[in-house]
Amino acid sequence: MTDGQRSPTSDGQIVVSGLTKQYKNVRAVNDLSFTVEPGRVTGFLGPNGAGKTTTLRMLLNLVTPTAGTATISGHRYADLADPLRHVGAILEASSAHKGRTGINHLRVICAAAGLPRERADAALELVGLTPAAKRKFKGYSLGMKQRLGIAAAMLGDPRVLILDEPANGLDPEGIRWMRGFLKNLAHEGRTVLVSSHLLSEMQLLADDVVIIAAGQLVRQGPVEQVLGSMAQGARVRVRTPQAEALTTALKAQSATVDTDEHGVLLVSGVDAPAIGRAALAAGVELHELTTERPDLERVFLELTAGKAGIR
Amino acid sequence: MNLVRSELLKIRTTNTWWIFALITLPLWALTLLINWLQADALTSNNMGELSAEQAAQFEAAASPDALSSNLFTTGQFFGLLIVMLLGIIVVTSEFFHQTVTTTFLTSPHRTAVMVAKLVAAGVLALLFWLVTTALNLVAGSAVLNAVGVDSQLGNDAAWRAIGLNLLAYLLWAVFGVGIGVLIRSQIGATVTGILLYLGGSIGAIFVIAILADRWGDWINNLQLLVPSLASSLMVTGADIPGNPPRWAGAAVLIGYAVVTGVVGTLLMRRRDIS
Repeated sequence: MTDGQRSPTSDGQIVVSGLTKQYKNVRAVNDLSFTVEPGRVTGFLGPNGAGKTTTLRMLLNLVTPTAGTATISGHRYADLADPLRHVGAILEASSAHKGRTGINHLRVICAAAGLPRERADAALELVGLTPAAKRKFKGYSLGMKQRLGIAAAMLGDPRVLILDEPANGLDPEGIRWMRGFLKNLAHEGRTVLVSSHLLSEMQLLADDVVIIAAGQLVRQGPVEQVLGSMAQGARVRVRTPQAEALTTALKAQSATVDTDEHGVLLVSGVDAPAIGRAALAAGVELHELTTERPDLERVFLELTAGKAGIR
Repeated sequence: MNLVRSELLKIRTTNTWWIFALITLPLWALTLLINWLQADALTSNNMGELSAEQAAQFEAAASPDALSSNLFTTGQFFGLLIVMLLGIIVVTSEFFHQTVTTTFLTSPHRTAVMVAKLVAAGVLALLFWLVTTALNLVAGSAVLNAVGVDSQLGNDAAWRAIGLNLLAYLLWAVFGVGIGVLIRSQIGATVTGILLYLGGSIGAIFVIAILADRWGDWINNLQLLVPSLASSLMVTGADIPGNPPRWAGAAVLIGYAVVTGVVGTLLMRRRDIS
């Protein structure tokens, strides 16, 4: 135990603390604090206009915070000795000169960062864009542009990846590729922070989520925990022509029964087999018996209800 | 150093520089023709009746010093405009194509990026000056021989003008970068730059002439404050009577370049990129 007292390494950890950005009329981000751990994919979620992009831009020293700090591995982005070798970021789809070829776009970045120009070829290979290396950016499809953005972010083989809406404009095949790619990077021990509004995609991709609305933190934690904290477990949809009889039988088992606008019963407190047995015992005919798992979308909508929209 | 290499690579990997070079060439040829005709007229000595003051001005303008200085800096008027536009584009294209995010992610030290841009624009200006001067030395000597003056390749005044011409190219490139930072819109900055350069000088000549009529000749010295007039004053081979001294033109231009360069850099340091 004598040499086990090394301080926990902050390598690859992103820490946002009290971050605030006040624009003329809008407080885009308001006293926001959260952490992002290495080795996991963290989804950064929020309705449009919640302040996701402003937060990421403050993290990357592109926007100056009104208050608070944002650090990567314990340093502000501007203080990182070799930012591109530490952090890779993709902020918008179309961030290359339209008249420049893909490979030259990457070479320009390599030159500025002091990376060998061969890294440009390797990065293009990594995202499968080598055949289009010498084509000009204006001839790229949206998906190719996204891949070029990822190639640019990977030039320095960074420990931390920050992506703003990377799935935008990707086709289903591209989205699947992206999912595998990011999971793999996290598996290698890198930090992956992804902002998105595609909740079903996030449920497949993210290990942790940070949910913000109106510039403030709503919830942070592992996906399972955030899901579990919301709904009181699973809910079961039941359709039956004898709704009243079944409701009476279920309430006798201290279940909670609600009815939706189509007359479908939404039962919680008992599981599907118990409902089936109760129906059989009461001689009630069933047309549907479906367990609804709480999903990210529902949780997200509940959490951000009333906080979305134009501010 | 890496940043300068990157900035130069940015310029090299797009079409802008050679399109601008192609535009410069015919404009240079046009100015050469005008300068030739002017040199021819100045040396043919049939100017008719002149006042004593005008005669003195002509004599100064027709001296080998002035003639050769003028010819060896042929193309300056449009060359400076082109170099200024290139300086503008070095900055505004980053906003136009949204590459400024990538640029500042790659190097968060914005002052260093701005210095690299100023240097890169300067290198570009140097190249434009180098090519134009090479052409001028050949074509200018030929014209001087044709009008009966020696080629003047050993003339100190001529070489001083060529050197000052380089200074003008560099300063206008810096000036362009400054305008680009102040006006991020590519079209807005370009149009403003051209207006400032062309309209500014023509308009200023008018206004100054009218004001000088009203309040006296000292107003003429104010033309010094118009950047394009200051730079053409700077490269005249000899002090023309009635015009402000050349060093004053240089001082004014350097002042403008320093102010736009520094203000531009300070603005860029503070600005939110979104």
